[in-house]
Formats: sequence, C-alpha cells, structure tokens
Amino acid sequence: MSHWHAVLDGPILAIALTLAAYLGGVRLFERLGRPNWCPAVLIGALLTAAGLWLLGIPYADYRHDVAWLTLLLGPVTVALAVPLYQQRRHILALWKPILGCLPLAAALAACYAVAIAWLLGAPPAVLASLAPKSVTAPLAIGIQEQIGGSLSLMLGGLLITGVVSTLCVTWLARLLDIRDPRLIGFTLGVNGHAIGTVRAFELGPTAGAFASLGMSLTGVFTALFLPLAWRLTGF
Amino acid sequence: MTLLRGFLWLLGFQLLGQLAVEWLALPVSPAMAGLLLLLAWLLVTRRLNEGVAAASQALIPLLAMLIMPGVVGVFFVIDEFAGHWTAVMVALVLGTLLSVLTTFWLMRRLMPGDAASLDDSKESRP
Repeated sequence: MSHWHAVLDGPILAIALTLAAYLGGVRLFERLGRPNWCPAVLIGALLTAAGLWLLGIPYADYRHDVAWLTLLLGPVTVALAVPLYQQRRHILALWKPILGCLPLAAALAACYAVAIAWLLGAPPAVLASLAPKSVTAPLAIGIQEQIGGSLSLMLGGLLITGVVSTLCVTWLARLLDIRDPRLIGFTLGVNGHAIGTVRAFELGPTAGAFASLGMSLTGVFTALFLPLAWRLTGF
Repeated sequence: MTLLRGFLWLLGFQLLGQLAVEWLALPVSPAMAGLLLLLAWLLVTRRLNEGVAAASQALIPLLAMLIMPGVVGVFFVIDEFAGHWTAVMVALVLGTLLSVLTTFWLMRRLMPGDAASLDDSKESRP
C-alpha cells in the first residue's frame, strides 16, 4: 500500500494522467469526426476528471502536481511571437481596422456577459468571475486577483466561452459568408482566447497568427481596462 | 541541439518579460511581456533564428494540452454556484454570440479590400 502512496504523491502520475487524457481526447475527437461543439481539450478534461475520480486524487493536489507540466505555458506563450513575426506583412496591412476594432470588441466581450448576468440577478462575485471570460488564462488569473470573484468559476467561464466562440465563429462565418482566414482567425482570438487560437491553427497558419494577435491584444487591453472599469463602476 | 537553443531563447525572453513586469509594475503576465519583447526583437533584427523557429514550431501544438488541467477544475466547482447556473450560462452563451457578431461586423466595416466588399445587406441581419 505504501508503494502505491509513493506513486500517488509524485508529480509524475499527474503528468502521465494529463498526457494520457489529452492523447485519448485527441483520439476520440478524431473518431467523432472532429466535431466543432466538443473540442479535444474538453474530451481530454473529462477523461482527466474521470481519472482523478477513479484514483481518488483531490483536484487541488492534481493542480499542484501538474504545475510541473503547465510551467511550459510560459515559453509557449512567448513562442507565439514567431507566427506573429512570420505574418507581419498581413498584419501590418491591416493595422488600422485591427486597432480600430480591438478596444470596442474586447470591451464589449466583457460587457455583454456582465450586463446579461446582472439583468438575471447574479451577485457581484459571479459578475467579477465572468468579466475576464475572453482573456487567455494566465492573464485572466491576474485580472481576477484585482477584481475578485471565484477562480474556478472564472476558468469554467473561459472554457465555455472558448467552446461557444469556436461554434459561433464557424456558424456566423457561414451565415455571413465570411471566408477571409485573417478575419476568422482574429475573431477567434479576440473572443475565444487560447481555445479559439488552437482552432484557428487548425484552419491554417494565417488564421493562427491572426488569432494569436487577437488573443494577445485582447489580453493586454482587458488586463488594463477591466480593473479600472471595475473601480469606476464601484462593484 | 537547435531545439534546445531555441527553447533557451524563449526562456530568456520570458525572464526578460518578468524583469520588465517587475520593474514597470505592468498589469500583464511575464509570458505575455516576453511575447511582446521577442516580437519587438524579431522586428528590429529582422532575422528569425533557426532555433527559435524550431522551438516555436514544436511548442505551439502543445498549447491545447497545457490549458487542459485548468479546464478540469470546472467539473469540481459545479456545486459552488448551483443557484446561478442559468444566469452564468445565458450570459456566457448569449454574450459570446453577441461579441463574435460585433467583432465580425466591426472588422468587416473597417477592413479594406476583399472582405469589406462582400454583400453589405447581410450585415444588418442578426
């Protein structure tokens, strides 16, 4: 029994479980015919949760151990500078619409959700958790520290927003007859942060670069704007 | 070795980002500051070194796997907000639909050339 405990205590199990669940998620995702409504990340997350439950590992312990792996999120974020650099000509050609659209689009992404939840009578803690919904996780955690709310609810909101954005972008692009990968990628990044960006890279390098751009700009803008807006509106 | 060298570059820029965030008390994460610094460096030197290109090509596909552990947390907080799930779900789904529509609409309005020249009459339809 003590041998088993030694295995459960180390971070290797958490990392192995994560890799296995992710690979299983990707496999199932392919089997299901790459459905838009259920990204590989979501299947992988369900498999991970099931694994934790079967092994009797509390989520907090898992989160602590898997930090050895998620540490890589830092250098991967830095690496997103490379597709941005490679696509610089496309991006520079569109700098005006991008800068004109971004502040309004990013601010509205937060405002719509907060306003709707407020109208439905959600308490301030819930509103604060929903506000950073379109921001990439590492930045959103920083915002949450400033404006309050629940970290887990916020991360849940990020997940749902990412999935719903991917769906909405696919559906609305078809409805509005939008085929420009720059426009689709940018919209995916602005609204759907990392999950949208992952989807955009599936569509191609141009969409991926525009999604990275949309994600970074939205993240930076919201990180600056939201704590200020929160103080001004007095939540 | 090329890959390792590139990875070291990325870590270096993340550390620089961390320094910048600490010194200037910026409200962004060290990694995001590192991204901006690396981009500025690439734009100034106009040369993408082989290692950085190789490392980024190897790492970017891992993004989805790396955000997954945070996502798992959702299944463990469902009880906590039992009374507010309707408000939360409606706000997220409807809010996201509206914001995607707004981004598309704004970008099409502001974009020159091919994308903006598409049929305008469709835009007024929600």
